Amino acid sequence: MINEKNYETYFMSYIDNELNAAERAAVEAFVLTEPKYLEELALFEKTKLQAPSREQIAMEDKIFLYRFPEMQASLDTDFKKSLYRKQAPVRKVLFTPNVRRASFAIAALFILLIGIQLFKTSTVIKDKTAIAITNNSYSNLKQTENNILPKGLNEIAINKNSTTKLSDIPVSNKANIIIIAKIESARANQEAFEDQAIASNNMNTNILSATEDLNQASRENDSQNISAKFNETQISSSAMETMPSELEKTMLPTIYTEIDTEDEDRTINIGMIEIDGAAFRGITRKFSALLKRNKIEKEK
Amino acid sequence: MTDLEFNICVDDYSDGVYRFILKISKNKEDAKDIVQTAFEKLWVNREKVETLKAKSYLFTVAYHLMIDQLRKENKIIMTDSFDENTQTVSQGSSELKQLLLHAINNLNPTQKSLILLKDYEGYSYQEIGEIMQLSESQVKVYLHRARQILKNRLTHLEKMSA
Repeated sequence: MINEKNYETYFMSYIDNELNAAERAAVEAFVLTEPKYLEELALFEKTKLQAPSREQIAMEDKIFLYRFPEMQASLDTDFKKSLYRKQAPVRKVLFTPNVRRASFAIAALFILLIGIQLFKTSTVIKDKTAIAITNNSYSNLKQTENNILPKGLNEIAINKNSTTKLSDIPVSNKANIIIIAKIESARANQEAFEDQAIASNNMNTNILSATEDLNQASRENDSQNISAKFNETQISSSAMETMPSELEKTMLPTIYTEIDTEDEDRTINIGMIEIDGAAFRGITRKFSALLKRNKIEKEK
Repeated sequence: MTDLEFNICVDDYSDGVYRFILKISKNKEDAKDIVQTAFEKLWVNREKVETLKAKSYLFTVAYHLMIDQLRKENKIIMTDSFDENTQTVSQGSSELKQLLLHAINNLNPTQKSLILLKDYEGYSYQEIGEIMQLSESQVKVYLHRARQILKNRLTHLEKMSA
């Protein structure tokens, strides 16, 4: 029930329109009991704000709040998927500037090595030419030897009819042993040259055959004839001893041959490795093409 | 809620929400942003919100957005009394309405919101409680306290003018 202690609460609920009809009637009856309550209620009424009209305070840009059917339009899922974009993967640069510089340096070094090897190859060609010349000298020597030996054999044949003493045979065998020893020493000198081995063997065979003939002749001829043949054989052996010095003389001339760079079958020797010229050219072309392509991609 | 009903809500409630926020925040841009966000939320939840509850929903969202913003700006000052400087400034005003508005501006945001929701929008204690997440009795007590402050202020001003 409204009284002097709680009238303010009732008055405020009254102006807030929170009282039912009976309570409102009770308040209205209470304020009539004393004038001060009427003034009090009037003061509370003044605390109530009057709502401003829309024109006074209106929301600006209200148009953006509206929703239209077009705003709900949505695209098909498949079409949306077609709009997706995936960032293209960044291509890995094979040759960075530093790697490229290093590659050029390696290539330059490689070319330098090839140049050195080519220089060495020309030297080998020169040596081979010298050996070829030596072979010729050996064949000449062999011819000379043949010229000598038949002479001895002829002499043996001339003296074939002379008498032979059995006691002289050991002397002739001794001479034969000396001749064979000298032939062996000559053979040892010849082994230094691979290409002359066959020629040397042929020569030894000739000498041995000559020795055999000599032995046979020694049995038939007398000691004087044998000593004469021994002297001649010594001449042929001394000719063989002089052979290395002659070889050296023949090897001195140097022959240079020009390298044919257009030759498809040309081989390049790098150390112990022999590289086919055509294959090597193919590798260098591929390498240069790779460098060029990398440069173009980088420029893009 | 259909598109048409939503647009009717824009027509009917956008101004009310805007002035409610503007009265408290005192910043037009902030008020517009809050209103726009409130209607955006209503649009997103239009399937769940009934048309009859749309107004309450909008005020609820807008009120909490405003409180959050005021908290960020540290503008919430819980005070129940006027300070002396404000009284001195207000003494020169002759119109009751201007005095009342000035008095209301010196209320704290909660009290101001209660007054505005009650007087401007005509919400009941229960509805205000729902919007401000307060009990009905709390709304009543806080609102009566605010009115008492306003009445005392007006009485004092009337005595000064007399």
